[in-house]
Amino acid sequence: MSAARETRAASVDVALLGRPNAGKSSLYNAVTGGNAKVGNFPGVTVDVLEAAAPLPGGGQARFFDLPGVYSLGDDVDPESDEGQARACIERIESQGEFVVAQVVDATQLVLGLRLTSELLAKRWPVLVLVTQRDVLEKSGARLDAEMLERELGVRVLAVSARDPDVRERVLAAAADLVARGLPRAEPHTLEPRDLAARATRRTSLPPLRDVTARADAVLLHPVAGPLIFLAIMTALFSAVFLIADPASNALDAILSRLSAAIFGAFGVHLWTSLLCDGVLGGAGTVLAFLPQIVVLTLALEIIDASGYLARGAFLVDRALRLAGLGGKSFVPLLTAHACAVPAITATRIVRDPKQRLRTLLVIPLMTCSARIPTYGLLIAAFFRHRSALFQAAIFVGLYCAGILAGFFASLVIGKTMERRGPRALPLVLEMPAYRLPQVRVVLRMGARACMRFLREVGTVIVLASVALWMLMKIPTPGAPHDPQHSIAASIGHGLEPVTKPLGFDWRMNVGLIGSFGARELMVSTLGVTYGVEKDASKATDEVVAPLAERIGQDPAYDTATGLALMAFFVLACQCMSTVAALRRETKGWRVPAFVLAYTYAAAYVAALVVHQVAHAFT
Amino acid sequence: MKLLDLPIASAARIAALDVDATLARRLRAVGVFEDEAIVVLRRGAFGGPVHVRTSSGGEFALDRRIAMAIEVHPALDVTAEAAE
Repeated sequence: MSAARETRAASVDVALLGRPNAGKSSLYNAVTGGNAKVGNFPGVTVDVLEAAAPLPGGGQARFFDLPGVYSLGDDVDPESDEGQARACIERIESQGEFVVAQVVDATQLVLGLRLTSELLAKRWPVLVLVTQRDVLEKSGARLDAEMLERELGVRVLAVSARDPDVRERVLAAAADLVARGLPRAEPHTLEPRDLAARATRRTSLPPLRDVTARADAVLLHPVAGPLIFLAIMTALFSAVFLIADPASNALDAILSRLSAAIFGAFGVHLWTSLLCDGVLGGAGTVLAFLPQIVVLTLALEIIDASGYLARGAFLVDRALRLAGLGGKSFVPLLTAHACAVPAITATRIVRDPKQRLRTLLVIPLMTCSARIPTYGLLIAAFFRHRSALFQAAIFVGLYCAGILAGFFASLVIGKTMERRGPRALPLVLEMPAYRLPQVRVVLRMGARACMRFLREVGTVIVLASVALWMLMKIPTPGAPHDPQHSIAASIGHGLEPVTKPLGFDWRMNVGLIGSFGARELMVSTLGVTYGVEKDASKATDEVVAPLAERIGQDPAYDTATGLALMAFFVLACQCMSTVAALRRETKGWRVPAFVLAYTYAAAYVAALVVHQVAHAFT
Repeated sequence: MKLLDLPIASAARIAALDVDATLARRLRAVGVFEDEAIVVLRRGAFGGPVHVRTSSGGEFALDRRIAMAIEVHPALDVTAEAAE
């Protein structure tokens, strides 16, 4: 081996490749200790994660966690997950020394070996990692890795991501390949079924019905299945409200007291007003919704990692088909209930281009976590005398409204879409075995959601709150010094002719303008507006009532206003991140512009109708 | 006989995939290919997808139109193996 070769080989790229759900991400986590998101659904690993690990004997290996791939021969859309994975492999191949580490699920050895033969044909340096060894052994069989190694002519390791020594073994195998100069695989014909049968030794009789079969008998039962599905979804969304609401209230109360304490100790000055009304009243109010967002993220992660997501897709496929969507759209649509941005990326698993476009167009209508603060505030303001269950029901109702709106929008969009082009691709969806979500991975996801939210509150929302506080403090030239005549108020007043029929006054208008870029800003904007307004006549030692109470008692608003605002928030795409993600994903402005136009138009009309109807009844 | 007509829990072998070439390649790549033993676990309500398990250990939800286009031979020799 030449010296130059040796130096280059000191750093090797290891591409983890395999079928969806083979266990790539778990293995990646175990080997690198990295932050891969573990999804138990075909194709959830959308971003390619990368992490380096030191090799025993010097040098290091860069591990890449690629999206799932069924085959290298089958033609795929380059935009899809599989297309992305293939592009990555090509890139890694062109960059220098590399190993393709194929991750094979031991319980689906035949299917894995079909892909192995394609890898051998490429003459790549191949390492085969047969994972789920523990699951196979539990089902009464044992894998003969040495025999497989002899037959394939490449290194084969039988591992389980839960093994304490998995990291050492995989790194040692990689180091060994590097030491041997990364030998290339020899293509040869193999009969996957026959080879798998010879490599798997039965040690005991297989269980008649495994856990997955027994669970599916209930969870996919024709009657019980859909009912359980609805119950899980309802429980999920009401839990977000019921579990997290007390926590939010407690945080909110602390903020109010803090504000009062600051005003009490230092009096009403420009800087105390900036701190209390600008920063605490704005960003702090949004912070109170952190618990709800964490609960939602954890729950969705558990559904994903357990394998139930594919069952959901099976159950709703028929219903979604009515709207021109399909079972595969279910994954991005459910993800959209946390945040539209990852959901837009997740549409890559939808193989049908028309279905994918429809899914992209309706994603902004799903109730993302950024709407939670506004919904929480409006429910607390206008329904505070009702029971917690009634409030939770409204909350769930708002989620349903989003879903129905998406269904309806997809129908209407489908009618206007050109009918040319290939027929819709029918559903082919792998149903993975149920797996116990790994607590560490789920918690890490929750922590990540937490950090993202805190970062946003700490930066964008604080800045926006302070900016608005200034606009509320600075009077329009020539006007008296009074919040009613501030620059922000003048803009709000200017819009009143358009928003009066919806029941929104200048303060709501300021909120709506503030939340154009991000919905969460609605709450902070109202917090600042109310804080500054109250400031003018504030007795310093009085504990400021929570924002919701002040809005609820405001004579300018009634329940009809609250309902109209809710309708507006269900439909309007008030999120610049979503617009940017749509542009990135569709490589153009057409789709994002259309989404903005149709959601705002629908939001205006819906708010108008809701306000007028609600007024007629109250 | 078509896969769609196969009674639930009885096994068969896939004889032919009567779908267009692209879809056939996709099905084979995913794990639904000729000569595989296959068993229908359940059919989705109101014309929903068909849930199948194959002898390679894969489980799939297939659109009804696909199940209608897959030709199968009922096979007694695979009953125990595939239904396990």
